[in-house]
Amino acid sequence: MTAIESGSSTAKPLLRTTSTVLLAAIAFLLPQLLGGTSIAYSTLTTIAIFAVMCYGVDIVLSYLGEVSLGHTLFWAAGGYAAANLSVKYGLNGWATALATIAICIAVAVFLGAVTLRTREFVFSLVTYAATVVAYEIAFNWDAIGGSDGIVGIPALKLPFGFATYSGSTQEDLWPIAFILLLLTLVFIARFRRSRLGITALMVQMNPALATSLGIDQRKVRLAVFVISAPITGLAGWLYAYQRAYVGPDMFETYFLVMMLTAVVLVGRRVLLGPLIGTGILIAQQNLLSLGGDWNKIILGSVLAIVLIFWPTGLVGLSGRFRKNTA
Amino acid sequence: MNITQQIVNGLVLGSGYACIALGWTILLGVARLVNFAHGQLYMLGAFVTWFAMTKAGLPYPLAIVVAIVTLATLGALMQIAMIGLVMTQNLTSLMIVTLGLGYVLQGGSALIFGGNPQTLPGTLSRTKVDLGSLWFTWQDVLVLVATLALYGAVWLFTKRTRFGSVIRAVAEDPKLAELFGINAKVVYLLVFVFECSAVALGAALVAPRSPILTSMGFNEVIMTFVVVVLGGIGSIGGALAAGLGLGLFIAFFGAFIAQAYTTAAAFAVLLALLVIRPAGLATK
Repeated sequence: MTAIESGSSTAKPLLRTTSTVLLAAIAFLLPQLLGGTSIAYSTLTTIAIFAVMCYGVDIVLSYLGEVSLGHTLFWAAGGYAAANLSVKYGLNGWATALATIAICIAVAVFLGAVTLRTREFVFSLVTYAATVVAYEIAFNWDAIGGSDGIVGIPALKLPFGFATYSGSTQEDLWPIAFILLLLTLVFIARFRRSRLGITALMVQMNPALATSLGIDQRKVRLAVFVISAPITGLAGWLYAYQRAYVGPDMFETYFLVMMLTAVVLVGRRVLLGPLIGTGILIAQQNLLSLGGDWNKIILGSVLAIVLIFWPTGLVGLSGRFRKNTA
Repeated sequence: MNITQQIVNGLVLGSGYACIALGWTILLGVARLVNFAHGQLYMLGAFVTWFAMTKAGLPYPLAIVVAIVTLATLGALMQIAMIGLVMTQNLTSLMIVTLGLGYVLQGGSALIFGGNPQTLPGTLSRTKVDLGSLWFTWQDVLVLVATLALYGAVWLFTKRTRFGSVIRAVAEDPKLAELFGINAKVVYLLVFVFECSAVALGAALVAPRSPILTSMGFNEVIMTFVVVVLGGIGSIGGALAAGLGLGLFIAFFGAFIAQAYTTAAAFAVLLALLVIRPAGLATK
């Protein structure tokens, strides 16, 4: 960055940084502000975890413009890694998180490479089919849980050398979920400005230009898909500790529809979009629930209606915040 | 477990796969549209048939008609809602919208039909045909005959009639087709209604073989995907061959290797094919 550039924009970034830090601090204290009850903590922890889950899909859908129907697989992979490694081998949170990242990247590289030369809908179709197959394996293979799943996952332990942070209650898990969400947001914000992020957007918006600049669209798709996988995976990792149980229900279509709806509801390519979308949807499901089947109808309808009638989401409807967040 | 019996089982399974996949083959291959609610439409077709037979007391052939009419109406409504996305060929949004609508169908069906597994009544699926050591049911014969007849009819229709070429013209370039006086919206609507009717017929024929659940749609579609991609995306003869071939493979895999992992085996076949021949087996 040159001196002129930094000189002309010192005042604004400072303001921006201060307000961001202030907002983050308020967000962190939100469960306290909402009464500090166990329900407030668990609801907000769930929102944070689900938002992280949605950001994995957000990268692929918003910036690449393709549909991954396989992120439920990464979500479940994180949960199963955390459950199996902590229950059977007594590994701590760092080890299970690393395993989650490794597994998700390996699976994404494999699926991405296999579909590298195919048309775009084949990519969606294969990722969808991979989820169904992973469900079948998780359901039938007793060594990793089988149809009963794994119960009694121990509290999340994160040793820092001198001390160990233990997330045994919802109150203790909230800071971890909050930090994971914050790290995800920082990562997404950096991705948007990164070379890969800009290239991906170009591939989506103007494929001809991208090709003429010598960009291999398929490699961009593979790279974006691979970096998106561990994000959703880590959300599943924390979800396993929050629920202390992991089972084949982590593959339910609910999570897939939830991820897609949260991304499109507020609007694609909006940094905080998936977080706000998740907040709205979880609030409906927890506070204004009409029962499981009605919630399915609502969630699916919201997804279809938004895409049919306002493809730009709530942001497009108001149209005011678009410039600030872009 | 003799080999001949497994070949019979394979043809029985395969004709079912091909029957359910017919609508998708036409939709994707001829009109270049996708429908991720396919599995839920299959589920709904099976449940409407079940409802018409057990609750309304209709005979099996009439119940099939009820299922086809119900799903055709639903398909028309879905397509009318999505027509904007269809005309702009917005495949990304179409995939997500159909997935969301499928989820609505799943929730709605659970509300209407309840969460318990059901079995379709019927005499055809209970009557066994014994040929020495071989056996199958009359329902299996019906599925095989109906599938072959349907594929033959559709193949003739798309290749030999003017409407077949009209559909292909619309798929190629909807705007250009409209310049030639073709109403692309109506063509898309008819193709989508055909897809929904075909899956209703497939469900009514195939579903009596096993218990039905409102949550089964998610898993049911994978065989359709494999058949359509294996068959070369839109090739009618290819889909039929792929369906029967996949049925034989699954029958042998299930009998001799592992019954629990047949879906995984089908997926492995799909992946292997995508690596070797990304455009499918029956490429021109």
